Amino acid sequence: MRLLLDKFTDRIFHHGSWKGYWEVLMQQIKPAWRDGYFRARVVTVKNLNTHILEVVLEPDSSWPTHAAGQHIALTIELNGRLTTRVFTIASGANTHQRDKQIRLVTKVKAQGALTPYLHTCVPNQWVNISAPMGEFVWPQTEKPLLMIAGGSGITPFIAMLDDAINNAQVNQKAVHLLYFAKPNEHVLLEELSTFSKRCESFTYDTLTKQRDGDVEAHLSYFADAHWLVCGPHAMFEQVETYAKTISAPVSSEHFAALPVVSHTSLTESETFSLVHNGQSLTIDNQQTLLLQLQQAEQPVTYGCGMGICHQCQCVKKRGVVRDTRTGELSDSAEQLIQLCVSQAVTDVEIQL
Amino acid sequence: MHETQETLATQPTSARKKPNYEILAAQLDEIKADIKQKVGAEDAAYIRRIIFIQRICEWSGRILLMLGFLQPLLWVAGVLSLATAKILDNMEIGHNVMHGQYDWMNDKHINSKGYEWDIACDGASWNRVHNYEHHTYTNIIGKDRDFGYGLLRLSNDFRWRVKNLWQFATYIVLSVLFQWGVSYHEMAAERVFFGKKKDNRKNQVTHNELKKRFFSKGARQLVKDYVLFPLIAGPLFLWVFAGNLIANLLRNLWTSTIIFCGHFTGDVETFKEEDCKNESRGQWYYRQALGSSNIKGGNLFHVLTGHLSFQIEHHLFPDIPARRYREMAPKVQAVFKQHGMHYNTGGFLKQYASVLKRIIRYSFP
Repeated sequence: MRLLLDKFTDRIFHHGSWKGYWEVLMQQIKPAWRDGYFRARVVTVKNLNTHILEVVLEPDSSWPTHAAGQHIALTIELNGRLTTRVFTIASGANTHQRDKQIRLVTKVKAQGALTPYLHTCVPNQWVNISAPMGEFVWPQTEKPLLMIAGGSGITPFIAMLDDAINNAQVNQKAVHLLYFAKPNEHVLLEELSTFSKRCESFTYDTLTKQRDGDVEAHLSYFADAHWLVCGPHAMFEQVETYAKTISAPVSSEHFAALPVVSHTSLTESETFSLVHNGQSLTIDNQQTLLLQLQQAEQPVTYGCGMGICHQCQCVKKRGVVRDTRTGELSDSAEQLIQLCVSQAVTDVEIQL
Repeated sequence: MHETQETLATQPTSARKKPNYEILAAQLDEIKADIKQKVGAEDAAYIRRIIFIQRICEWSGRILLMLGFLQPLLWVAGVLSLATAKILDNMEIGHNVMHGQYDWMNDKHINSKGYEWDIACDGASWNRVHNYEHHTYTNIIGKDRDFGYGLLRLSNDFRWRVKNLWQFATYIVLSVLFQWGVSYHEMAAERVFFGKKKDNRKNQVTHNELKKRFFSKGARQLVKDYVLFPLIAGPLFLWVFAGNLIANLLRNLWTSTIIFCGHFTGDVETFKEEDCKNESRGQWYYRQALGSSNIKGGNLFHVLTGHLSFQIEHHLFPDIPARRYREMAPKVQAVFKQHGMHYNTGGFLKQYASVLKRIIRYSFP
């Protein structure tokens, strides 16, 4: 039915989707009603410490429940601009079924496009979320588990433990958590303590690099376990390298810190990779993306070459580009860009 | 800048004094940067509100057309409502969204790549000819294929031909069928069906693709207004058929008139291909400024023109949300004055009379 309506809207009203055609009218009755998104109501927003924020959301009833460990894309309209970031859900599926709520716990990045504005969300405000995504979930294995969390990488483990302890999965095997964070920046410790009281086979250590050394120093005690790691890229690399030497199985989710880019850093020539339509191209930061795609004889539509006509516009999936006219740096997430006035500042992925 | 004696004679004296291009560019860039900072939630809410009004007008129009048998005045209201919806979709929404004015919103339904409008012209074709050619090479004879649309002789840059004698009638026909003119524009310019094909032109789209898009979009429009909705009305087929025809006609006449007033008033200047070689930003601004003209009017008038009543500002800043041209115009006018540049503006009747005069003047050698 939906397909038929979409086809009809396309042929008759030249609009890609039936829901999209009525979107603006629906928004008068239901704020933030958007084609392709689910709605969620903000329940509470509170600081867990100076850097960490907890946001509780109540998704619409049509939202498909997540599996603990999965993440969602959260979209908020900030000064008219739809801004999207991905967050892991820090609560279990059973909590969602019981309370109709999910929880996000995130580090607030001072320079971020979205997190610094999250605290301005007020209860009962509507935001948009995606369906749950991701493969980083409780593994099917007979082995004991070792969870390795770095900073806000604790969130999927909280969700997994929430479900596993409630469903008594965890009683069947030993689960240990190594939780690294900066001194005094560990969060949700009360919950971890409750988990370990309720379930004897779950134990955890709160660690800091300064006091307890690198993650590697702790791994040798868990050689027979299945490892789950979530945290900064550097931590993941250490764990992965070590796991290879002793052939331990690893599931992982890791986030790379965004590169810090200054306007002056373009004076030195650097090379990056440009991924487009599944192909990869080496590019530099001295010429525009359009010129380099043309030199590589890639099929690209273009027009004025000076940013007026939007013919060469495309979706940037990830990476940061610089506007050659203003020096302005783009967002690092998905965004529309014009190839003829964009230079790479990091590795970039686009959809032509 | 190179000028022949002939074009000099037709230009106002103010335009002959050349501005300092660097200062001009810096001043106009500053006006743009100032406004860009302000663009945000208000503009997003505005375009959503206009889309909301457009949907309301369209559906009340389509319903009222079917109630004509109760009271003919309802039918008249239906025609006006549907025509307003079509004008809003064409001007304030379609034209401006497809210029990329709202791309910063990251809204997949309100951006230049995704938008398709309620007229016979395929959006992508319009993007290529209008957004790219016309806005890059504004009024450069030989490069901007909008100047006279290949039908009308509007300056001495073109040799006089006998067919120019009756070009006023041609203009009326073009206005009546304006959406089809816009739709056919790229194919006519590419000489898809008739005429000599230019070998040196690099096509990004094949002729077959152009034809396919032309017929497909045009057919969908015809089916919608002259088959589908009349059929839904059953015995009132003719009421709805006629209502749609008149609504389309009103939209065509309105858009054509506004566009002619923005580009072909008496004082609008033309340029030569060599004018845009190695052109600086200031020179580009200068050409945009002298190639267009504004129309004075009230709030509703500006909205219904899609703010193309601020054609000068639109040509200087095509991707700034059009409602912002109102704030920019006094500043732009002040800059022009400082450089001794002519700021072409006037009431609707004055500008339109000047267009008609130009069409008639160049009917003759």
